This record gives sequence, C-alpha cells and structure tokens, in this order.
Amino acid sequence: MNTLIIISVLPIIILYLGLYKAKKALLPVTIIGLLTALGFACAQWGNEPAPTFSGMLQFNNFSIAFSALTIVSTILILLLSKDYFERISDHVAEYYAVILFSLAGVIVMLSYHNLTMLFIGIEIMSVSLYILAGIKKNDFASNEAALKYFLMGAFSTGFLLFGIALIYGASGSFDLTDIRNWILMNPRHIDPLFYTGILLMIVGLCFKIGAAPFHFWTPDVYEGSPTLITAFMSTVVKTAGIAAFLRLFSTCFNPISSFWVPTLLIITMLTLFIGNITALYQQSFKRMLAFSSISHAGYLLFAIVALNSSSANAVLTYATAYSIASIIAFGVLILVRQQAGTDNFTAFDGLAKKNPFLAFTLTVAMLSLAGIPLTAGFIGKFFMFSGALSQYQVALVIIAVINAIISIYYYFRVIVAMYFNAAEPAEVAVPPYYTFVLGFSALATIVIGVYPVLVSGLI
Amino acid sequence: MNLFYFIAFLSILFALLVIFSKNPVHSVLYLILTFFTFTIHYVLLNAQFLAIVNFIVYMGAIMVLFLFVIMLLNLNKDTEPVKSSLVKFAGIIGGACLLVVIVAAVKALGKSDPVILKQADLGLVKNLGKILFGQFLLPFEVSSLLLFSAMVGAVLLATKDKPVKA
Repeated sequence: MNTLIIISVLPIIILYLGLYKAKKALLPVTIIGLLTALGFACAQWGNEPAPTFSGMLQFNNFSIAFSALTIVSTILILLLSKDYFERISDHVAEYYAVILFSLAGVIVMLSYHNLTMLFIGIEIMSVSLYILAGIKKNDFASNEAALKYFLMGAFSTGFLLFGIALIYGASGSFDLTDIRNWILMNPRHIDPLFYTGILLMIVGLCFKIGAAPFHFWTPDVYEGSPTLITAFMSTVVKTAGIAAFLRLFSTCFNPISSFWVPTLLIITMLTLFIGNITALYQQSFKRMLAFSSISHAGYLLFAIVALNSSSANAVLTYATAYSIASIIAFGVLILVRQQAGTDNFTAFDGLAKKNPFLAFTLTVAMLSLAGIPLTAGFIGKFFMFSGALSQYQVALVIIAVINAIISIYYYFRVIVAMYFNAAEPAEVAVPPYYTFVLGFSALATIVIGVYPVLVSGLI
Repeated sequence: MNLFYFIAFLSILFALLVIFSKNPVHSVLYLILTFFTFTIHYVLLNAQFLAIVNFIVYMGAIMVLFLFVIMLLNLNKDTEPVKSSLVKFAGIIGGACLLVVIVAAVKALGKSDPVILKQADLGLVKNLGKILFGQFLLPFEVSSLLLFSAMVGAVLLATKDKPVKA
C-alpha cells in the first residue's frame, strides 16, 4: 500500500516542481521517489497479508516481485529520458507526472483482489498512455498513434467491462476469492453468462498485452509514439498486462480451465506466427521491435495456457529478460536515431567500428530476445517451454521452437548490420546516463543467463 | 399503470420523431425529450440514482455535446448526402437482425413475478452512498488518480507549445 501511495503522491510533487521551474530537480526527485517506493515494496516481502480495504488489494509476493520489476524498468527508462523530453517541448514535469500516474495504475493492476480495482488500474494506466503516445504534437505519426490507441483502447475497455459485468451477474461478486468459491460450489450449473464473461475478459486483456487477433494497434502505435514511450509501453505495460492476466486466471478461473485453455492456445499460436513472420519483412528497426513484442506476448501467454504452480515464476523471469533487453534495444535506437535520423536497419551499418560498446550491448540484447543460451532470454524461454511440456502441450512447444528459430533471422540482421556491413558512420555520442543503463541492463541479462537462481525461485 | 402506458407512448412517439425529423437540431431536441421520458420510467421503477444520473449526464452533458457538434459541423441545412441503395439495404438487414434478436430475447424471457417492490429501499441513493463510501471506498478514491491524470493530459495536449529550442 505504501508503494501505491508514494507513486500516487510523487507525480503531484513533480507537477509542483515543474510549476516552480525546478527543471534540474525533476529527474533526481523522481528516481529517489521510485527507489523509496521500491524499498517499501521489498520491505513487505515474505509476509503474505490478507486482502486489505474490504478485499480490494492484496500485496502478496507476486505483487511485490512484479512491482519491483516494473519500478526498476521505469527507473531505467526514466534515466534514458535525460535531455529526451526537452527536445519535444518545455512541459517536462508533466511528462514525468503522467508516466508516474501510469505506473500507479500498473501497481494497482499488479495487486488487485477485486475486479473493480483491476478495471480502474487498467484505465489509469491506459489513459496516461493515450496521452503519452501523442506528446509530439507536431508529429503526424504521434497524433495518429495517440488517436488509434485511444479509439481501440476504448473499445477493448468496453469488452473488459462487459465481461466483468457478466461475471458479476453470474457469480454475484467482484471479489476474486468469492468468484472462485462460486465456481467450486456450482461446478455443474455454471451460467452461460459466466463463460461469455470470461471470453470477453480474454478479449479485453489480450488487447492490452497485444496478443494476436487483437494486435492491430501495436505496430502503428509503437512506431508512432516517441521511442522512450514505446520502450515504456513494451516493457512495463506489457509486464503489468500479463501479470494481471495471470493473477485473474490463476486465482479465479483455474477450476474451469478446460473451457478457456483451447481459446488461449489458439490465441498463443496465432500470436507467435503473426508476430514473428511479419517481423521478418520489416525495414524499420522500431517496427521490427513492435512485431517482436507481439511475438513475446505469445511466449508470455504460455504460462497461462499451461497454468501450474511455477507459472508466476516463469512469467517473472521471462518478463525480466524481455524488459531489460527491450530497454537496451530502445536506448540504442534513440541514440542511433539522433545520429542517423532514421529508424531503418541501415542506420546500424558499421556501428561496431566507432561505438563498440553500443554494438556489444545491443548484441547482448538481441541474443537475449532471440533466446540464445547464456542470456536471460534463454532462461525465460526454458522456463516457459518446460512449463508447457509439463502440461503435455507438446504441439505448442514445437510451434514455439519453430518461431524462435524464425526470430533469430531478424534479430541477427541488426547484429550483422553492425559488425559486417561496410559503412563509415560518424561516432555516436553516448551520454553517461545511457552508458550506465545500457551497461547495467547488459550485465543483468548475462548474470541472469549464467546464474538463473537469482530470479527463478522468487515467487 | 396508466401512467406507465402514457409515458411509454411518449417515449416511442419522441423516438420516432427523432428519426423522422429532417432537421438535425430538431432531432437532438426530440432526443432530449426521449431521454426525459426515460428518466420518468426510472422514477417509476424506484431507481432514484439512475434517474438522476440519466437526467444530469444524458440529458444535460451528452445532449449539449451533441448540439455543439451539430452546430460546429453546420449540419443545420438539409445537406445530408443521398445514401446509396446498398447502404439502405444494409441498414434494413441490420435493423431486422436487431428486431429478431429483441423479439427472441423477449420470447425467451421467463415471465417473472409481477413487479412488486420486495425491498422498499432498493435503488435509493442512500444505499448506494453507503456501499460506495464503505466497501468501495478504495476504488472510489483511486479513481481520482484517473481523473487527475486525464486532466493533466488534457491540459498538456491542449496548451500551445512555444517553438522548441534547437
């Protein structure tokens, strides 16, 4: 709870700092505030409290682990924001504030114990993101991204809300435990309303994580938004979405898994194929990352299809690996784009000659996203696949392995461009903040890859 | 009961006038009247809160918004483009599907007990307030974050930027 309070109050402080023109203080205050919130979250570790506030929120280890991951990702992304927002406009304080509001919504999504809180959390996060996608007011692509995201997001919210309403109508409660007990009490006489509600909630949540039949907004929104915001969307928001998904299905709908597993199985396969095959044809690095994020949503859904006691841990590992690798990729993209003025793969030609550090970190990130051993991405995929195999989803794992092989092609394109393509680009200046974030993320990727016990036994 | 039939008749009458009047502004005015009859229906059903919300939000805010949009777009004249027969055909099919669904739903509906208020205080604002400020206090308070974030964002997107320094 303290975490949520701090992250809710912090943006108001930031807005006041912006009002009094304390530009220099914005980033340090934000980072210190987030670290405090992280500290309070970690201090709760281990005691599994009962749901608080009339059963609205429950800060268990699951929430704390994912909160810590999202807060750390936000800190890393905000460190990259040094001098980034200033180029867009003067309202830097408001940008920080809206990002923090979004994070507050994420925290609510990670710790809800009542469907109303889930809905409000998703809305706080999404409304802030609609704004953030459109902060480049003079850029046509950014306007398009904001409008598209807003319209599609409003529809998906409608689906989600309708689903919640139907589930309430059938079971008579918003509370996760009560709904679960209702299912267990009436195993034979579950209302058709309830099944419809589950399907509508799947639609709403799949939209938020960008899974396949509901992914159409992803490429345009990710490409049009400012790169830093794209990084936030594809890491923090996706992690929160999948964690909320997992919390709902593992605590609530687990007893009737035979009903929704086939649906999710199809969604997962579609997501993998559409994400990976479309990514093959992209010329823009940013758009390729958008499609790759779709395919990663597919891998993350594995944990829900093959729901077991280690699902939460598998998602945590995978989301960690994916988040830090994406932050590296987007960080390098911001620098290269400033130098070359384009998002295309050609911008990376010959990067390794002048900027071996950038090239090395990006290589680590790409290897991790592709799932090569000794990186965190491999460990994440390993947990996902072994979880699926333990539930005898052999066909799914075979398809996933095929897709992982496909993905190697487009991830390696960047590496090939950086090391082997002949070009003499000017040296890209790397600010110290970037060096820290990229170095830290690359190190974390390798450390988790070599020594997975760090994250594998947490939840 | 007679009052109900009278109000129901008015609802249908105004709803028909909405779609048959040529002038869009008149349509919106009739729509306001239609919503007003709905408010009376809610009162008859003892749903105080819904009645008030319907009155304030639909009749007040949303209708004014509609009027503004119509005036801004200057749809006042009969500039409505002639629709092709294909669109008309699609409209007929869509409307007929809706009609079938509604009739089927009404037919499938089990006949419930005649409308007798079993709980006299059902639908009163007082109960809603008690629930909202008791059990649902936290979602209520957290919603303020949502509104605040949206407000900051609206101001952010609406303010004019100074030309960006290099």
